Amino acid sequence: MNHKNMKQKLEFVIKDKIFVSIASIIFLIITGYIIVNYLTPEWKMYQQDFTSVVEEKLGVNRAATVRGGLQQIYVKDLGVTDRCITCHMGMEWKGMENVEQPFRSHPKEILAKHPITKFGCTPCHGGQGYATDMQAAHGFAPFWEEPLLGKELAEFYVISDKKAMMQMNCNTCHRYDKETNGMSVINRAKQIVNDKGCRACHVVNGRGGTVGPDLTFEGEKSAEQFNYERIKGFASMFTWHITHFKNPKELVPETVMPSFGFSSSDAQSLALLVMSWKKGKLPIEYIPGNNFKDVPSKEEIEKEERMKNGPGAFFVQRRCFVCHSVSSLGVEAAAQIGPDLALAVEDVQSRFGRTLDDFLMKPTGTMEVVLSTMLPLTKEERLEAIEKLRHAYELKKNEKKTVVKK
Amino acid sequence: MKEAESTNSNGEKEKGNNSRREFLQKVGVGSILLGAGATGFQTVRALVPDVLYEASERFKIGLPTQLSEGVTFIEDRRLYVFKEGRSYYAISGACTHLGCTVKYTKLNQPKEIEEDGIKKRINFEFHCPCHGSKFYADGTNFAGPAPRPLRWYNLEQSPDDGQLIVDLGKEVEQNFRLTV
Amino acid sequence: MQLIEQVKKIYTKLLWTWNPGSEKESGDAIVKNILLHWFPNKISKKSLSWNYSFYLGTISFILFMILTITGMILMFLYVPSVERAYSSVKDIEFVIAFGWLLRSVHRISAHLMVAVVFLHMVRVFLTGAYKNGKSVGSNRPTNWIVGIVLLLATLLLSFTGYLLPWDQLAYWAITVGTNIASSAPVVGEKIRFFLLGGNTINQNALIRFYVLHVFFLPVIVLFLFFYHMWRIRKDGGLAAADNESLNQKPENNAPVKSKTYSLLGITNGTSVHVQTTMVNEEENSVSSVPHLLRRLWLVTLATIAATILLAILFAAPLEEAANPSVTPNPAKAPWYFLWLQEIVTDTTLKLGFITINGAFIGGIILPTVLIGLAIWWPYRDRSGLNSVGVWFSPERKKQNYTFIGICIIIIIFTIIGTFLRGPFWNFYWPWESWPTMPVKF
Repeated sequence: MNHKNMKQKLEFVIKDKIFVSIASIIFLIITGYIIVNYLTPEWKMYQQDFTSVVEEKLGVNRAATVRGGLQQIYVKDLGVTDRCITCHMGMEWKGMENVEQPFRSHPKEILAKHPITKFGCTPCHGGQGYATDMQAAHGFAPFWEEPLLGKELAEFYVISDKKAMMQMNCNTCHRYDKETNGMSVINRAKQIVNDKGCRACHVVNGRGGTVGPDLTFEGEKSAEQFNYERIKGFASMFTWHITHFKNPKELVPETVMPSFGFSSSDAQSLALLVMSWKKGKLPIEYIPGNNFKDVPSKEEIEKEERMKNGPGAFFVQRRCFVCHSVSSLGVEAAAQIGPDLALAVEDVQSRFGRTLDDFLMKPTGTMEVVLSTMLPLTKEERLEAIEKLRHAYELKKNEKKTVVKK
Repeated sequence: MKEAESTNSNGEKEKGNNSRREFLQKVGVGSILLGAGATGFQTVRALVPDVLYEASERFKIGLPTQLSEGVTFIEDRRLYVFKEGRSYYAISGACTHLGCTVKYTKLNQPKEIEEDGIKKRINFEFHCPCHGSKFYADGTNFAGPAPRPLRWYNLEQSPDDGQLIVDLGKEVEQNFRLTV
Repeated sequence: MQLIEQVKKIYTKLLWTWNPGSEKESGDAIVKNILLHWFPNKISKKSLSWNYSFYLGTISFILFMILTITGMILMFLYVPSVERAYSSVKDIEFVIAFGWLLRSVHRISAHLMVAVVFLHMVRVFLTGAYKNGKSVGSNRPTNWIVGIVLLLATLLLSFTGYLLPWDQLAYWAITVGTNIASSAPVVGEKIRFFLLGGNTINQNALIRFYVLHVFFLPVIVLFLFFYHMWRIRKDGGLAAADNESLNQKPENNAPVKSKTYSLLGITNGTSVHVQTTMVNEEENSVSSVPHLLRRLWLVTLATIAATILLAILFAAPLEEAANPSVTPNPAKAPWYFLWLQEIVTDTTLKLGFITINGAFIGGIILPTVLIGLAIWWPYRDRSGLNSVGVWFSPERKKQNYTFIGICIIIIIFTIIGTFLRGPFWNFYWPWESWPTMPVKF
């Protein structure tokens, strides 16, 4: 059988071959598109811009330290995964305070109390931390409920204070503060809650009446739970609360809640306040007001000050005070194990039969161990100690004399 | 063109068709190889993560003044940070044998050792619980299976907020000291 | 060039147990080649043609392979836990290189596979390809039933995969879907409890669906697929070949004498022998290699290219994280179950004091009846040999119209459920906009 002749008869063979080639080329084009897409993500452009801004502002050397690639802050305690710093690269940089966004550095004071590595970004600012492109990251995307609480949103709701929206998130943690620095809008709302006596009818922060619904976790409700039929304009939970605060009967005709005649800005503040009452998942170390410190009494503060900076400061710094008091210098032992050093000059003589100078330079017994391992002192320090102890002894003697004279 | 074609003999036309077809076929085979290669790259690349749910290799450990004198063990990073007056250094707590965490062991008596002809007095060592490797205070291995000294890591002070930064990605020599 | 030779050698070594040295040996070797063993030696031109089979079965297998490969990569990246599932999918979307592509291709292929397997079944029915032809040992009705099981397995695969992203879409689609199962009398609730490993969709349900999705169902599909393919060869190839052979006179070869080694010694007799049905083989058929192989290559390439293109055009959605306390409005089952959901809403019956849940009629009885009918059909179809392997045989006119009717109803209900049902399951024309759903801000 002649294969060549047969092939020519098969018209479909030629067609098939052409189609295979065409399909391969289409496949290659699609793959090429994907690879190009992979090599040129949005964030790479921002990172290049950042490097050139740093170069211009802080010099080539600092620019070389810019770390490229996707950046992520993962806060295990809060369950936060934020990739914001992939583009907002200047967050912790000095000298980038006046640069345009996205590179401007974060205000320092607030960052000092809320370190990025411990808080991430979205717990305060909102937005979608997972995302790596701007539209999705700022949360103005379908199916993301917590958009960036910034300028855009404030403008949308005609709020003059551009940072007002964010205070809602601040108050998730700061809800039990009477007043919080830098949270003017929420502070105002808290003041209204007290002035108007909301607790007469509502449970707020765990106490109050039962005429109206318990508002302790009002912010936890989903948007679907409200009725938007009477709302003119944009149907959002935030709008509902504002409208409701202005005139409750407008939305719920059968309500007994009176209209307080709140101004727009007051209604907005209150809406932000009630929406901030969420069940955050907070480890205790994050709860503000809990400083993990005892509150010292006035006497304790005085004593601490005296020990730290008084005439006996030397014995505190060298940690002699752990065992010994130096009563005439105002040093009080933490654990009263050793003898009062104010009388050391006499004491050493009577106990060891040696002078203080001799003993401190070549101690025996417990002091030998202590001074060789735990609290090593240099020769100069020992000399200083001897001098100070003599002085303390003088003071002590004078003290005694005055007592005797009396 | 048409005229030219019609004047050509049938055979030549066929030839032209064939060479065009062969070219197309070559392009096709080329694209399929390239495309398959790129697709293979994509699938493998997907398994190389770009972000990690691990603590970063570079991390801040607070202001120098917050550290206490002597040794501080940062448990979750297995790192011994030392403060000696105004100088600071950091030694890894991971045994160089098989990575167990070595224990900081205070000596009852200070010990005289000689290293590279230099005599030193040390009052602590590092002991590994897994296979008994032992290291001097500066991390030099002297007993057990550990093949090399404990790693020293770079310390620097952040120019932005003054905190100490450890970089586990940057190893340094034993004479390294950060003076603040 | 030498490299190519080398590669060829390795290739030969892998696929051939031994290298032929002569023409005769090559002939023997055909039997030993894995590809030739999968393919028939020769294939009729009609079986090869586009407009008989549309290569729907081939396409569905290619889709299955795409799903397997992308799925295996995704298995490394996805975490089947209630806490981590959603964020791991977010990671796949945003920070895994090509993760969005893998996920999108996986999703599109899954949807396409449901559609293509369904169309494959339609093709087989309309061409009467579930009927036995003249070839000996053919048992096409069995293969038809295997095909139906494969369709059901495909639906289940897609359904179990639907839950994994753990977003609102997934959560509520599975809620609606599994509640249909619970409406079966007596055992319904128990079946649902067993399926979910609890009363609500939670960690137990997630891990069950995951294990089913990545192991049990794919393995079942793979085994059934091999059986399905093997049966096609045992049944004498595609039914189109049977139809072709009708116009030819079969040639009865004399049985070949052979010797068999039996337990009691050498026995004389005739060999097991399949009657040759094709006479004009030279004219009507071509060798499978390279012609069928090239075709398959073409279909594979086209399917892959089309899938990736669709995956780029229609990105896989990821809604809010699953929230058991908020039902999205509307909450819909996966699209291939929407015809059932649509029927379910209309079939709650009130007979005197007894109310029968629509879910039971629409969700249990109806599908059971349809599947039963499909299984039974080949055995009641008494049309002649002329109706095997031809599109719209006049003899099967009534059957075809009934089948097309059922399919059209299913498709129409699916379209209504997918595109024309809005919040509160109200009817909306495509040009009517749905009321906007409330948001927080």
